[in-house]
Amino acid sequence: MPATWTRRLVAAGLAAGLLAAAAGCGSGDDAADGDITLTVGLFGDFGFGPLYEEYERDNPGIQIEERIAEFADHHTNLTQRLATGSGAADIEAVEVGFISQFTAVPNRFHNLLDHGAGDLEGRWLDWKWQQALSQDGAELIGLGTDVGGMAMCYRTDLFEEAGLPTDRDEVSALWIDSWGDYVETGKDYLAATDDDSYFFESAGNMFRAMIEQAPVGVYDTDNTLLVEDNPVVSDAWETTVEAIEAGMSNRLTAWTPEWTAAFGQGTFATIICPAWMTAYIEGNAPDAAGLWDVAAVPGGAGNMGGAHLTLPAQGDHPEEAYAFIEWLTEPEQQLRVFQETGNFPSTPELYDDPALTEFSKEYFNDAPIGEIFTDAAQQVQPQYQGPLQGDVLATIGQGLGRIEDGSQSPAEAWAQVLSDVESLA
Amino acid sequence: MSTVATIRRYRPPRLAYLTLLAVLFFSGFPLYFSLVVASQDNSALGRMPPPLLPGANLVDNVRRVFETVPFGAALVNSLIVSATITASVVLFSTLAGFAFAKLKFRASNTLLLLVVATMMVPAQLGIVPLYLMMIRFGWTDSLQAVIVPALVNAFGVFFMTQYLREALPTELLEAGRIDGAASHRLFWHVVLPVARPAAAVLGMLTFLTAWNDYFWPLVVLSSPDNYTVQVALSNLRSGYVTDFSLVLTGTLLATVPLLVVFGLLGRHIIGGIMQGAVKG
Amino acid sequence: MTTTRPAATVPPGAPSTGTPGRHRGPQGTSWQQRRYRWDVKGTPYLYIAPFFILFAVFGLFPLGYTAWVSLHDWSLLSDEQTFVGLANYRELLTDAYFWNALRNTISILILGTVPQLFFALIIAHLLTMRLRGQTFFRLGMLLPNVASVVAVAVIFSQLFGRDFGLINWVLESIGVGRIDWQAGTASSHIAIAVMIAWKWTGYNALIYLAAMQAVPRDLYESATLDGASWWRQLTSITIPMIRPTIIFTVIISTIYGLQIFAEPQLFAGGGQDTITGGSSRQFQTLTLYLYEHGFNRGFQFGYASATAWVMFGIIVVVAAANYLLVRRIRSSA
Repeated sequence: MPATWTRRLVAAGLAAGLLAAAAGCGSGDDAADGDITLTVGLFGDFGFGPLYEEYERDNPGIQIEERIAEFADHHTNLTQRLATGSGAADIEAVEVGFISQFTAVPNRFHNLLDHGAGDLEGRWLDWKWQQALSQDGAELIGLGTDVGGMAMCYRTDLFEEAGLPTDRDEVSALWIDSWGDYVETGKDYLAATDDDSYFFESAGNMFRAMIEQAPVGVYDTDNTLLVEDNPVVSDAWETTVEAIEAGMSNRLTAWTPEWTAAFGQGTFATIICPAWMTAYIEGNAPDAAGLWDVAAVPGGAGNMGGAHLTLPAQGDHPEEAYAFIEWLTEPEQQLRVFQETGNFPSTPELYDDPALTEFSKEYFNDAPIGEIFTDAAQQVQPQYQGPLQGDVLATIGQGLGRIEDGSQSPAEAWAQVLSDVESLA
Repeated sequence: MSTVATIRRYRPPRLAYLTLLAVLFFSGFPLYFSLVVASQDNSALGRMPPPLLPGANLVDNVRRVFETVPFGAALVNSLIVSATITASVVLFSTLAGFAFAKLKFRASNTLLLLVVATMMVPAQLGIVPLYLMMIRFGWTDSLQAVIVPALVNAFGVFFMTQYLREALPTELLEAGRIDGAASHRLFWHVVLPVARPAAAVLGMLTFLTAWNDYFWPLVVLSSPDNYTVQVALSNLRSGYVTDFSLVLTGTLLATVPLLVVFGLLGRHIIGGIMQGAVKG
Repeated sequence: MTTTRPAATVPPGAPSTGTPGRHRGPQGTSWQQRRYRWDVKGTPYLYIAPFFILFAVFGLFPLGYTAWVSLHDWSLLSDEQTFVGLANYRELLTDAYFWNALRNTISILILGTVPQLFFALIIAHLLTMRLRGQTFFRLGMLLPNVASVVAVAVIFSQLFGRDFGLINWVLESIGVGRIDWQAGTASSHIAIAVMIAWKWTGYNALIYLAAMQAVPRDLYESATLDGASWWRQLTSITIPMIRPTIIFTVIISTIYGLQIFAEPQLFAGGGQDTITGGSSRQFQTLTLYLYEHGFNRGFQFGYASATAWVMFGIIVVVAAANYLLVRRIRSSA
């Protein structure tokens, strides 16, 4: 008996030792007394890393800690944390599809107008500013980071193999007029390539792009759902279904391991490119430098994605947090984020700055992405975003997924989308 | 034992060994595979055929896991949670088990039946009210929200009752009584020594369960500094999916402490499971 | 050996060690007796008190409270809770997605449990042989049980990956072709069932092994003399003899299986699919369904509570069925 007890003790000690060692690695940044740690909750990498360091250097006593969660989880968790009044970060990012869900409960956030944000209104594109205002305009819950003016990224090597043009102007010309032309190009592409090469990664993305380009999307300005009644929605659905049925979709779900790996393997030829997507392409396929290029998106301008930084009311350091996000969303910082990652500034002041407009990236075959995305951002017509915008689009995306994996006919999928969307509200 | 073996002598033992070795292979392979991916860089994710041998990036990946998410804090949180729950479950289960097994009191059978019956109740049944209670107490997003509801469980009481009923000689207790020992003395000096092996097994099973618990911590914990290992792991998986070698490194790190304990104490755990089985 | 221990460890001079009524005077006696009586009568309650107090607050009370919440339109996001009677139950029982989740749960349960227990029986049977390295084999069997469900789900989701998973690579190499495990109903159920079976087969094998060792050996002896094969001995001696243990494992596996959550949640790659269990809800289980309504969109606690009670009802029905089965076997034995 004593022997086994000794062994148990040893085991416990060993486990504890391992844990202590592990803990030691993790907590290297013990803050001195009086330091304030600002936590920043994001979905995905916003490319803020170098900026945190700089801000910490210039503002002794401020520590910044980043938390990243998955896109859908992030917004659900935020809802839960706001409701229970605990667990939210000092600064929480909110994506455009979810912003109106939160402007509906402005009391859960610090009103940034109380912190002097009113003087900064001119910093942002007007619609970007409006999106973070409460319905009565008395409260502002967030400051804009990036906007997602759209382009189309494509693989020049795969286009060449398929006998399609590779020059970005010629590629743009293939489909600039309409999504129908894009689908036709896809058919040509499929006809010229073998079975495991696809024209785009996911149908949901294509559908969302079309919706974002419309003046009115899935919501009316009085928050009526328009999924069934807006012809734009059903047209977009049909065009997407046509593409799926032609076999163009690689059937990937964004932000899954498969999706990530597919970039590296080059299994699809095009992807809808809001500015922020360029960061993912580069990150997911570091070896594909020079193979990607950027052309115009079919169907005109539209905004897809982009975020605001908000300050949940439960945060203890609104002053410091506000000062930080105010700095972080300054044009100068937004420009650096763009140059670093590709997230496109929401501050028009930069739109005639050569540092932005003449920016190009070797990775994207030296495509003038500064110019492309500036044009895209300037042409964006604001679209009203309803309270469950993000969930509605995700639900429709699932419907397209069911067609993609063959489990439902388009008619069945559409019927289910309608009833699912109904039960969301 | 020997008779069983004598009879089986005629069977082809080689096939038995081969079958068991195959089972061992399938048991061990997924864990081995997570080590393989954890020691590669992320490009291994899309490689075909998938890598089957460990690479050289393990140390680097481990470092990055700790840099990316507060994994150290998660390990410490899990240790605090699991150790507290284990100590409490073992103590209170032994106390109650002793009372149910050897002490006479009114309604003891009814109460024991209640305990056994609640073992059938799924954990999910209490989730919503527990969550509402935690909000009321102001405990959401804190470790006590994970610890306190788990301080006792019906299985522990049932397990100790069954064990002590068999293993604790009634004469021993009576002898103690005649010597004038009060109940708490009997408990410390008679019951505990007898209960020790079962307590060790219950402790290990409880620790394992607490360490691996996922649903409730996922619901109630919200800030990464308070995450337990399993929640940190699921967060790592969902937020950093673009780097899957990182995710599997986290998986490995979450499992290694248990593997160490298992390696050292596995035989006792097996003994406990088999013992519990006979009783059950 | 242990019998001598208590006497030795009770300190002789301690005040309470005096046997009541033997060494003390009359005054002391009555005090001691009262104390003794209190000790004998009260202590049991004292010992079960910590358990029952905590259990009542965090175990029993929530059960009743769930019932109360389930009768309300109760959302985390709103401060008002309206009494709605059985409306949540009505809505639940008419929701096709609930029935879908129930079907999925039962399908995964059967796929994960039946082969699992079958293999556990075979493995246990093999382990009763006089093998070299008994301990080694037993340890190996139990190894998967140490890994958390989260770890299991993460690792297996990778192995079952559509494009770059090891399993599909093997299937393709041997000419079977790739399977989109997540997309299909049957294939996703199989994948999740494999995760469950992988984790629990060895555990159950050990339980069976323990039960098999209690089977009288002469039964095997005479069977061997009669020339009964290995398989025959398994089916006509071992299985009937350890039937109660088998039923015990069936009940435990059933309760566990009806609560499956982490495997399907993490098996879905990402986004909405992690809550709905795939785009067609092809592997959404009951707990995932509860999670979707209670802790995701809407945070409808009333509805989630109703789901929890219905789940409990299902478990009771299954457990009762099993109990009747046990009784029948006992009475026929």
